[in-house]
Amino acid sequence: MRTFEQKWTAWLDGQLSGSELTEFEASLPDKAVAEAEKANAKKLGALLKREIGAHGLANEEFFSHQLRERIARESARPSGERDGGVSTWWTIRRLLWTGTASLAVFLAFAIFVMHDKNPAEQSQYLTQILNARVDPVVSPNATISMFEAKEDRVTVLWTEGLQSLPADYAAK
Amino acid sequence: MARWLALFTAFIALIVSVAPELHGAETVWSGLVIAENVAQPQPIPPELTRIERPLKQLFGYNQFQVIGQSSKILKTGQEDWLATSKFFGLHVDARGETEAGYVLNLKLYKEKELLLETDTKLSRRSPLVIKGPQVGSGQLLLVLVVQ
Repeated sequence: MRTFEQKWTAWLDGQLSGSELTEFEASLPDKAVAEAEKANAKKLGALLKREIGAHGLANEEFFSHQLRERIARESARPSGERDGGVSTWWTIRRLLWTGTASLAVFLAFAIFVMHDKNPAEQSQYLTQILNARVDPVVSPNATISMFEAKEDRVTVLWTEGLQSLPADYAAK
Repeated sequence: MARWLALFTAFIALIVSVAPELHGAETVWSGLVIAENVAQPQPIPPELTRIERPLKQLFGYNQFQVIGQSSKILKTGQEDWLATSKFFGLHVDARGETEAGYVLNLKLYKEKELLLETDTKLSRRSPLVIKGPQVGSGQLLLVLVVQ
């Protein structure tokens, strides 16, 4: 034996039939109001069905979860990657630093090479004595040295102990 | 326009590369000089003017007289010549030209006796002075200058 509420729910769902339907509709105090209420219940049911069905097909929760994960990953990356789209190590600041450092290294090498080259140029600039010798029989105690008066750009071969000669040898 | 620029660049490069080789014939002056201290020194010979200060400072004499000399124009850098006085002879044998000057072999003779021999690279900008034997109260000096 069903209660009135159970029969009412069944009537709204269209599940009453035969004598049970006839008896229930006869028991209703105002059938027109009841029919209107039934129609509203059907509309509501259709609306809920449609909304619930759409929710199930779109799988919003799944995409929402993926979206949240992606946002979290993007937030964890450096700002340069997010802004540029294509990530690169060569930021403007690094380019500037690298350029400055390269210039400094170049200048250091240039100064080093120039500094190193000067003595060679200087020696080429002055007369060089490659070798010198005296006759050991004529001047057994002779010594030879050489030096450069760089201020006057004169190269000197200095001998000591050569055999002394009388003043007559100064003749033209 | 670009063709003219390329031609101009090539011309400049040619000039720059050839310029060091364009040394004209140069004269090497070689002299036998007696340096002495005297009361009334004679003026220094014109050939020695450019090295008067180092000569006086290094050797301490106040007079320099040329007793023998020779000026040789070098065309091939392979020439040889002799500067002589009454008793001394300086034989100079050029053995090639370098970027800076000439390679020379020098031999100082007293009559026929070889006193001193040296090989040098004589620079165009740097004279060579060789201190020879004591002669009386003075000093024999050998001087070579590219003029």
